[in-house]
Amino acid sequence: MVFKLNNYGKIPQLISREYGKFRVTIIVDRCKECGLCIAICPVKVLVKSSAENKYGYHPPEPLNIEKCIGCRLCEYNCPDFAIFVEKVV
Amino acid sequence: MVVEAINVHPLDKHLRLDRIPTLYCPGCGIGIALGAILRALDRRISEGLIDPNRVVWVGGIGCSARAVFYVKFDAAHILHGRAIAFATGVVLANPELLAIVVGGDGDIAGIGGNHLIHAARRNMDMIVVMITNFVYAMTGGQVAPTTPRGVKTTTTPKGNPELPLNAVKLVLSLNANYVARASVTTPHYIESFFYKALGMKGFRFIEVISTCPEIYGRHIGLRDPVEMYNELKKRVKYRSKPSIEDADIDWERGVVIGEFLERNNPSYLELLREVYSR
Amino acid sequence: MKKTFASGNIAIAEGAITAGLKFYAGYPITPSSEIMEYLAEKLPKLNGVVVQMEDEIASINAAIGASWTGVKSMTATSGPGFSLMAEAIGLAVITETPLVIVDVMRAGPSTGVPTKTSQSDVLQARWLAHGDYIVPCYAPWSVQEAYDLTLKAFNTAELLRTPVIVLSDAVIAHLWEPLTIYDQGEVDIVDRKIPRGVERALPYKPDPDLVPPMPIFGKGFKTIVESLIHDERGYYAPHEDSYRALITRLNLKILKRLNYIFDYEIYNCTSECDYMLLSYGSTARVTYIAMLELRRRGYNVCMLRLKTLWPLDRERLVSSCGARKIVVVENNTGKIYMDVDRIFKDREVYSAPVLGLELPSLREVLEVVSLWL
Repeated sequence: MVFKLNNYGKIPQLISREYGKFRVTIIVDRCKECGLCIAICPVKVLVKSSAENKYGYHPPEPLNIEKCIGCRLCEYNCPDFAIFVEKVV
Repeated sequence: MVVEAINVHPLDKHLRLDRIPTLYCPGCGIGIALGAILRALDRRISEGLIDPNRVVWVGGIGCSARAVFYVKFDAAHILHGRAIAFATGVVLANPELLAIVVGGDGDIAGIGGNHLIHAARRNMDMIVVMITNFVYAMTGGQVAPTTPRGVKTTTTPKGNPELPLNAVKLVLSLNANYVARASVTTPHYIESFFYKALGMKGFRFIEVISTCPEIYGRHIGLRDPVEMYNELKKRVKYRSKPSIEDADIDWERGVVIGEFLERNNPSYLELLREVYSR
Repeated sequence: MKKTFASGNIAIAEGAITAGLKFYAGYPITPSSEIMEYLAEKLPKLNGVVVQMEDEIASINAAIGASWTGVKSMTATSGPGFSLMAEAIGLAVITETPLVIVDVMRAGPSTGVPTKTSQSDVLQARWLAHGDYIVPCYAPWSVQEAYDLTLKAFNTAELLRTPVIVLSDAVIAHLWEPLTIYDQGEVDIVDRKIPRGVERALPYKPDPDLVPPMPIFGKGFKTIVESLIHDERGYYAPHEDSYRALITRLNLKILKRLNYIFDYEIYNCTSECDYMLLSYGSTARVTYIAMLELRRRGYNVCMLRLKTLWPLDRERLVSSCGARKIVVVENNTGKIYMDVDRIFKDREVYSAPVLGLELPSLREVLEVVSLWL
């Protein structure tokens, strides 16, 4: 399932995708586009999306969610509490 | 202008959601350090070791000290450099409270240097987290006591002629119970050191080397958050049981992180009780 | 109650103990060190804490931190240390922290003469920190009054959530006189209001008396003690309306209780008074005798002694006595004189600055005052 992100007003507050054991969620309006999560992910799950959040930043989206290994490096290295990983039962 | 409070992130229960997003620049290391500290605190609270109503965060002035805005605990945002003195009063007047002092290198080791020295000398019961970015960032990028020699800052436009202070070495020379250094490129270490500190008594000091892309990054040519993070990551080396000689911070030779000192000497409150029981 | 013989410094310490002092942080400085020494012996036996900090700045910040845990706290110092405490007094004002600061005045400026007296800090006590605020200041003239006014200082601090300054001086500090120490049940002791519910939505919302209940640490209030201009939530609010609201309230809450705070004594005032001597603190002791001597010589003179140096109640002062000529006698270059001149606009007000390191002699005061009679 891929989110279609349109212009501001139609963007959901969360971008969330899951595959297998892990779900990655981004809280859209907290993101400041620092790029750390995208760079730190060892398996390149995240890419910068083309959508703009409330402040004009482009949050990431878990495009390659099937590769996620649940290491949570994105969650730990995000300075803005904007991304987290959950185990899906 | 804030986001409507969404309560989904695992740390949201400890955050004042009506003040998120934080004021920090994109890629600022303070947010990483704060997240790691909150995770450790959350674990200790779930274990029942720490009562959240007894936690008091104290911050002075500066970007790092403003972390106290965001935590949903009792907090104090007071004068530049005086957080340690304020926390001393809190802990002595009510020994059941846990004081967590958060501040930058200028706040804690610059103007607050004298208070740092004496709290460490007394082995005062508090945890001090000093987030080092080598510059006074909130006021625009002036030189700090920890700025390496030669760096061009706004008040040393031709390069810093001064030699820097090493806060870890300073505290190691006193009577603290725990001295550690971590980096925002190693949030798991920040969490595990803070977790350990929460289970100890006496003076616990954790220095967290941080990125600062907008201000210090600008001074040293690393304005991109990812680039500055990677450059710092390359230079950070973990060592188990490093000694005081390893504590030097050198951008060329690297920065050693780890637990420099861990002991269980009587804390100030215990020493005080012992004196009054005579 | 207990009747004893004590010094001014000891009286201040005992006044604090009666008020319920539980935390003292200080730094040694002549002539105030005995307050800390006396409390270091007595306070731990009453479950209090005395800590000698590394400097005056640490002392007052620690006292503010302690006050936020719900205990009554105090620090004492002299001129040079008081100057160091400037920033923290501003912090106590904006965070609305109950606190008593004792300044045992000595000859200045700077190191001055540590062991001798002066009254030169009387305006500094009002305006020490930057910003727009009113800090109540009390000035005792005897050992008993040092005890009474310290107790009143604590009550004022707790009632109005403000720092309060007690201006003693080197003479009162080391003077020994009879002292009556009251039991806690015999005197009025005020404790700060604490919110009843937990986690108030607006921790800085004032009650009708303009003082918010104090959400102390450790009770689950999730307080934020904030030194920046803040709104009723305690969040930084750099906006016109929040700034105006906060500053207005901080000042008004003090002025609303002017009647309680402002106190003075008037001696021998009749409807035929030609002259009034105005004095305060240790100098008033000699001014009083001078007034009696002048009356013996046939002058219609009375004396007004200020017990509160700030804020001043213009109405009560103006209506206190009808004397046309007022002479202000003080041990400085004429500071309270400026206020008296301003307040008693329609009278002739003269300054009699008896500048000296010790109490002036009767002859000196008579000489200076007689110039204006």
